[in-house]
Amino acid sequence: MNSRTLSISKIAARPGLGTAIRAEAHKLRRSLVGIIASSALIVGTLALLTGITAGVASGNEELIAQAGPAANLNWDGLLLGAGQITAAGGLIGFGVVLAWLIAREFTDGTIAGLFALPISRGRIAGAKLVVYAIWAVIISTALTLGILSLGLAFSYGLPTGEVWQGLFRQWALTIFTAAITTPVAWLAAQSRSILAAVGGAICLAIFSQVGGLAGIGGWFPFTAPALWAMSNGSAVNAAQLSLSLAVGVAGAVFTWRTWQNLELGR
Amino acid sequence: MLRFAGVTRKFPNGAGVEELTFGVDPGEILALIGLNGAGKTTLMRLALEMLRPQDGHIEIFGTPLGQLPIQKWAHVGAAVETALAYPELSTAENLQLAASLRGADRDCVTEAIETWGLEPLARRPFSQLSLGNRQRVGLAAALQHDPDLIFLDEPSNSLDPASVIFLRNELTKSAQSGAAILVSSHHLDEVARIADRIILMNHGRLIGELHTTGPDLERTFFNRIHVDDRNRQTAAHAQMLESAAAEPN
Repeated sequence: MNSRTLSISKIAARPGLGTAIRAEAHKLRRSLVGIIASSALIVGTLALLTGITAGVASGNEELIAQAGPAANLNWDGLLLGAGQITAAGGLIGFGVVLAWLIAREFTDGTIAGLFALPISRGRIAGAKLVVYAIWAVIISTALTLGILSLGLAFSYGLPTGEVWQGLFRQWALTIFTAAITTPVAWLAAQSRSILAAVGGAICLAIFSQVGGLAGIGGWFPFTAPALWAMSNGSAVNAAQLSLSLAVGVAGAVFTWRTWQNLELGR
Repeated sequence: MLRFAGVTRKFPNGAGVEELTFGVDPGEILALIGLNGAGKTTLMRLALEMLRPQDGHIEIFGTPLGQLPIQKWAHVGAAVETALAYPELSTAENLQLAASLRGADRDCVTEAIETWGLEPLARRPFSQLSLGNRQRVGLAAALQHDPDLIFLDEPSNSLDPASVIFLRNELTKSAQSGAAILVSSHHLDEVARIADRIILMNHGRLIGELHTTGPDLERTFFNRIHVDDRNRQTAAHAQMLESAAAEPN
């Protein structure tokens, strides 16, 4: 029998978080789920806003009644409509991507290959969440620029200071929505099922509507960001918004812990 | 390179492994043989930290598993259960991803594609490959960084005869260069050609060894399993009688 010291010839460096982030980003970029969800969140929202605007402009009274203040053909109406769509649809869109990012390793069976690597599962989960956060900022920025373009195309005039503030709140609302969806990642890690996690995202979307209807929106973390954006920042205070952020951080931490202590075949 | 000492991990349904004690030395190929459900995959999962033992301890590179510095895992290659390969990525991208997650040199990917004859599949998405080709990609991903300790669970599954021979040669070369290899299989004849030792598993326990050059391996294997099953039944029966005798009338 031969013996040897540990081979070093083909091991160039110790992989760190950066390596895992690049790997996860590559997987998301190449995935159909990422492409469809990105399209739905940006193109879908803009298409809905265009459809609503066209309907209102043609005098569709039923639509005008349903849309309420969002039926105004100006920047305020456009931003209100965008906020409503983001608040409801964003939870599902972001939830689907998070469910896929985390649970696909179990459904594709690749989780077994993520053991026996010189990079911990916790760090891989962290990389997934970092990639998700970066993707959410890109989606938010693209959507906000799309809304700005729509307003200009609809001849609402150049944005005033208030409109710029509204656009910033729309940008922040999209990021807040991505943040409050992180419990879906934890559910995906616990259930090891994409479908169960998507079900969780749908539940979150329903809860957020119920929270708004029940009048507890400000203190309900899944409703507060939408209320804040749609009330021009007046209906929700900083403490209430912090609670939403805390939910996002908690979802991420629980996901990381679940992956760090992961066991297969229990 | 790898040591199991009295390792036990039981599951609520009664399955699992008990009192596993064995080792694999540098340059050695150890084959693990057993029927379905014997505990071979559980043993592999324990060695790769997918499961934690309830009793006993495992050492890799002379260090207890829980204390193993994470960078040492770069010297391990494993193809256990499903390959680390993503359906949306091509063969080359999957090999690149596996290499980068191990901190391996980029050149090893080109080398692996050449060595494993994967050039025609290099740009094809993993999802479009046949089962046999997926297995080849998985094995290439596990072995491309020239690991010192190799775990392979049923590696010849779905492989065509040419690939089986190629794999056999690759494992023999790795062992000759000093790697320690633990391989599980259902195919006795196949492992007997490359293994230095064959250990038998039955109902979660190691029940002995087979000589790789011994006569009629299959018959010997089934005889050992049969004797073990009979001993287990006798022991269970004796325990039942003891319990019945101990009960008050």
